[in-house]
Amino acid sequence: MGLIRNIKDAVKKEVKDYIFQMVEVEKENEKKPEQPSTENVQKNIEVKAAQPEPEAEEKPVVKEEKTESEKKEEVAEVREKPRKKEIYPISNDLEFVRVSYKKALDPIAIPKELSELIKMLPLEEYACFMKLYCFVAADQKKNYGYWGGSLKRKIGLDYMTTAEFDELGSNLSAYGLLLLEQLTENQKTFVLYVPFDEDTMVKLSTAKQPERKPEKPVKKQAQKPAPKAKEEPKAEPETQRDEDIPGKPVEGMENDEMYKSYKTFVSLEIDKAKMRVGRANFDKIYMEAVKYIDKKYGFKVLSDSDKFKEYLTNYYISAFDIPTFENWKKSKG
Amino acid sequence: MLQDIKILMKSLSDIDVKIMLCKSAFEWELLAKKYNSLRDEIEAFCASGLPEDVKEALEKTRASLVEKKGELPPLDLSDFFK
Repeated sequence: MGLIRNIKDAVKKEVKDYIFQMVEVEKENEKKPEQPSTENVQKNIEVKAAQPEPEAEEKPVVKEEKTESEKKEEVAEVREKPRKKEIYPISNDLEFVRVSYKKALDPIAIPKELSELIKMLPLEEYACFMKLYCFVAADQKKNYGYWGGSLKRKIGLDYMTTAEFDELGSNLSAYGLLLLEQLTENQKTFVLYVPFDEDTMVKLSTAKQPERKPEKPVKKQAQKPAPKAKEEPKAEPETQRDEDIPGKPVEGMENDEMYKSYKTFVSLEIDKAKMRVGRANFDKIYMEAVKYIDKKYGFKVLSDSDKFKEYLTNYYISAFDIPTFENWKKSKG
Repeated sequence: MLQDIKILMKSLSDIDVKIMLCKSAFEWELLAKKYNSLRDEIEAFCASGLPEDVKEALEKTRASLVEKKGELPPLDLSDFFK
């Protein structure tokens, strides 16, 4: 009897929480009041089959509690609503190809196909996409890279907070024009959708596009189902990520090792170049590097030993056609 | 005020002379630091705007420093790659 009573209490509690949550969902979906109610009915029937009595008892209690907690939640909802609108991808069949530009585009042209797509974006996302597009075409010369503060600064969105920038990124991702991959806890990479053009680009690899359709129902379902779901939404994205990026954390670890060997490789390449061009020419190149760094980055960089070494290395990489880290990594397979 | 700017300009011309005698990267770095702090000092002193001749003198010293850095043996990057 005691066991049955305990079960009864547990079910009571579950039903109470469930109804409470349903009321919240109904509030959210005021525009679509029919859908949740049909689901309610279905689920209530299921619950009734298990324990019909408690539901009738608990409903009024929920209504009383609702008034207290609702005020807080409504405020939060009002703040969240404009951003948490459901985003449907503009196009589902876009192929994300990692490309490098043969040279920086001048002028930067937007293919008609792309302009047709992006004109449907909201203003902020449109601006962010255009900024990224200009940046990858004119400066970076590749349509992929790390997503973070550095990129934010480079595309002139420094005034934004990281959260705002991340939100723009995830919105663009939801629209299907950007591919974001969580490499490690703090590292994200992006691939910007650009229509491949043989004349100006070199195809490097095809990025795997995550399935977007399941993501949205997951968000909705995560809010609707009974109390158990409170823990599920946290667990689901994690499992999804693990599936989407098999071995990615390992790759992050590997990167450090790889970067070390890349540094050794660069060092050797510079030594080889020094031998190849001869001492006198190398001195001239060094002189040019000094002038270039001073002109481009300022005297403060030139007089800062560490920064100067960094920029000098970059100059050598460029001057002696030493592969960049990404290209070197690819060539290593 | 005129006296003060003269003192600062004297320090700048001292740096100019030392640049000519500079023979190592270490010396160059000291001179560069001196130049940076002197420049900051002069800019702070002439908050309303640098006089044209002072500006020219600063740019000239900077150009000498850059040229000298280029003339010195290339920086050894081996420790940077460790």
